Amino acid sequence: MFTSLGWLRLAVGVACAALGAFALVAALGLGARGSGASTAPAAAPVPLAAYVEFAPHVASQLVILGFQGGVRGAPLVSPHGDPPLPASDFARPVAEYLAYAETQLKLMAGPLRSLEVALSENDRNQAERGWEAAYARFLHLGAVYLEGPAAVLNERIDGSPGGLSGGTASPRFTGLHRIEYGLWTGAPPDSLVGWARQLSADVGRLRALLPRVSISPLDYATRAHEILEDAVRDLLSGADVPWSQQGVLGTAAAVAATREVIATLRPLINMTVVGTELAHLNAVIDSLAAAHGGTLPTNTELSQDQSEALDAALGQALEALALVPPSLETTRPPTTPTIPARAVEIDP
Amino acid sequence: MSRIGRRAFLTGSAAVLGAGAGAAAAAEVNSSHPASVAPADVAVPSPSAQWQMSQAQLAEREPFKGVHQAGILTSRQAQSTFAALDCFAPDRDILSVTLQALSQRAQQLAAGGPVPLLEVDAPPADSGILGPDNAPDSLTVTIAFGASLFDGRYGLAARRPRELVQMPTFAIDDLDPARSHGDVLLQICANQRDTVVHTLRELLRTVRGSLQLRWVIDGFQSPRRGPTARNNPRNLFAFRDGTSNPLTTDPAQMQRLVWAGSGEPAWAVGGTYQVVRVIRMHVEFWDRVGLNEQQNMIGRVRDTGAPLGGTSELEDPRYDLDPQGKRIPLDAHIRLANPRTAVTSDQRILRRSYNYSRGFDAAGQLDQGLIFVAFNRSPQRQFVPVQTRLLSEPMIDYITPVGGGYFFAPPGAAGDDWVGSSLFA
Repeated sequence: MFTSLGWLRLAVGVACAALGAFALVAALGLGARGSGASTAPAAAPVPLAAYVEFAPHVASQLVILGFQGGVRGAPLVSPHGDPPLPASDFARPVAEYLAYAETQLKLMAGPLRSLEVALSENDRNQAERGWEAAYARFLHLGAVYLEGPAAVLNERIDGSPGGLSGGTASPRFTGLHRIEYGLWTGAPPDSLVGWARQLSADVGRLRALLPRVSISPLDYATRAHEILEDAVRDLLSGADVPWSQQGVLGTAAAVAATREVIATLRPLINMTVVGTELAHLNAVIDSLAAAHGGTLPTNTELSQDQSEALDAALGQALEALALVPPSLETTRPPTTPTIPARAVEIDP
Repeated sequence: MSRIGRRAFLTGSAAVLGAGAGAAAAAEVNSSHPASVAPADVAVPSPSAQWQMSQAQLAEREPFKGVHQAGILTSRQAQSTFAALDCFAPDRDILSVTLQALSQRAQQLAAGGPVPLLEVDAPPADSGILGPDNAPDSLTVTIAFGASLFDGRYGLAARRPRELVQMPTFAIDDLDPARSHGDVLLQICANQRDTVVHTLRELLRTVRGSLQLRWVIDGFQSPRRGPTARNNPRNLFAFRDGTSNPLTTDPAQMQRLVWAGSGEPAWAVGGTYQVVRVIRMHVEFWDRVGLNEQQNMIGRVRDTGAPLGGTSELEDPRYDLDPQGKRIPLDAHIRLANPRTAVTSDQRILRRSYNYSRGFDAAGQLDQGLIFVAFNRSPQRQFVPVQTRLLSEPMIDYITPVGGGYFFAPPGAAGDDWVGSSLFA
């Protein structure tokens, strides 16, 4: 039996409270060494998988526990049983997503037109509203795993100046963030009309390419998780929106995109937990808008409490989402070949 | 403490000597059993024995003077600070005097010893935070110059080391100008945090008015937690770092890979190019990635540090037997960083990196990462091709280089010289 039962219970409690999810990697080992058997505490967690590893110096036993009917829902279960899933299962979700993405690009046309008109009329306020609407709509696409010409277009539409030589002065700095930079740093709005026209043309070109885009099951499963990872890394940190600070707006769009992707994947695995977390996150975002007169606040307008509440809900959703890609594997990882025996140590 | 817990602790590091009870014992264990796991029942030294060992370590001294500066080949101390300074000396003579004062104060601090007493009405000669007698604690201060020092201000343009330029922006970078570049870089390393803190404070006091802080970052090296004394410590992605470093004990290899030589201005020979890149690691994101994917991104087994398919950290990954990347993916970090071919052998760099952890960002995410430090003879031949290859590694999603710079660490000072004196000769 575990001599560390108390510790385990504590860990389980923390995991329930912190994740609201169902999985926990617990590193055990005290007392269980040599027995080779894992004995989960009665009633609560059901192991999804258990394996034992003996490192050369310290015996350790790793147990992945699933919380059947945990505080907020059931674990991810596929109608096919454990992964791998057949790759053909992804054809329909991907097709649905691409149709959704095309709709989002179509819906960008309106805000882009308003943006261009406001810019040409030197109406900064209206132009900023138009920019926000266009930007949020573009982020409804979610993380973009595009290759070739589509990736180039995506970079022209949503690229940031960080990696460009010359930064904001680089001629390769274009699109939404070029206009954001101009609008929020006092450039005459009508000086930005050219960028807006180019942006509209690029969005049109991307839309035309979408029917030919293919997304692999691996990329699609990963997308479900990474749209919000990007939001945390690039939007709420302010890294991608240093001038407008519209990271909350961007995150709200990323949540919508994630929910769309998750909805397409529902036939493949049970997404109750993920859905619950995303709904909670959405409610937190709605409450932020309500607290700011019906408009989403910028990153810098968030109070410390609001900021922490959003980070908490987002972090919790991400911990649940991290379990989506491994539940949607279409292949088993191949066994790593062993280095042939002739290997010698290279460093003394 | 349970038996297992103590055992795990005892296999820990020699690098944190004096940091806590039991650490001294670890050093003893590692030195007497250099390549094996510590026995479970090693006696913990008595408090007085531990005290003596910690004092002995504090008394250890790294020579400041030499053909090359200290802190380059010196085995990594546990603690560090990197401070980039901008220069406000009004002319070349005052710059020269400033750098001389900096070098001499650094030399004093590395030597340690009693703090001189001044008249009691005067502010003390030393802040005194290490007590009346400064223990050397293996302190090294490595002084380096940025490209901007060789602009028009001090008439040094013609003496600029041949490859010293402002660090370019690589495609994955998001450099904050306020945390990048600088006229002078101080790399301060010692085994105890307070030694490093004291040194920065004393050095800044020495040159106040001429050198002003531009950016600063504190680093720590994770202790050697084994299983053997030869296993390298881990970075904050939990993978061992520094495994295939060139041999600092091989002068010919150092000459080829580290020390600046022919083609450089005479004053710079024996110096080295120092690349510093502050690389934020998105650790929460990383922790949500499957272990298999993590290992494939790095090319090593996380726990042992062995190349994929191997069992020991120090074993040759044998890329020659895996040309298609079936064992170690072709875009794995270790494979791109050092493909171990005849062609790339001259591209190897001497890494001397530190981990950092400094609070959290606006999205509530921990600001942790790596202060990547590389010394090399020719950035164009070594660092740049390595970095360029790494721009296509899958790991780039989990890191963001946010600061740092290119610097040139001049040769060491001998006799009455000071670090940088040859630049003004």
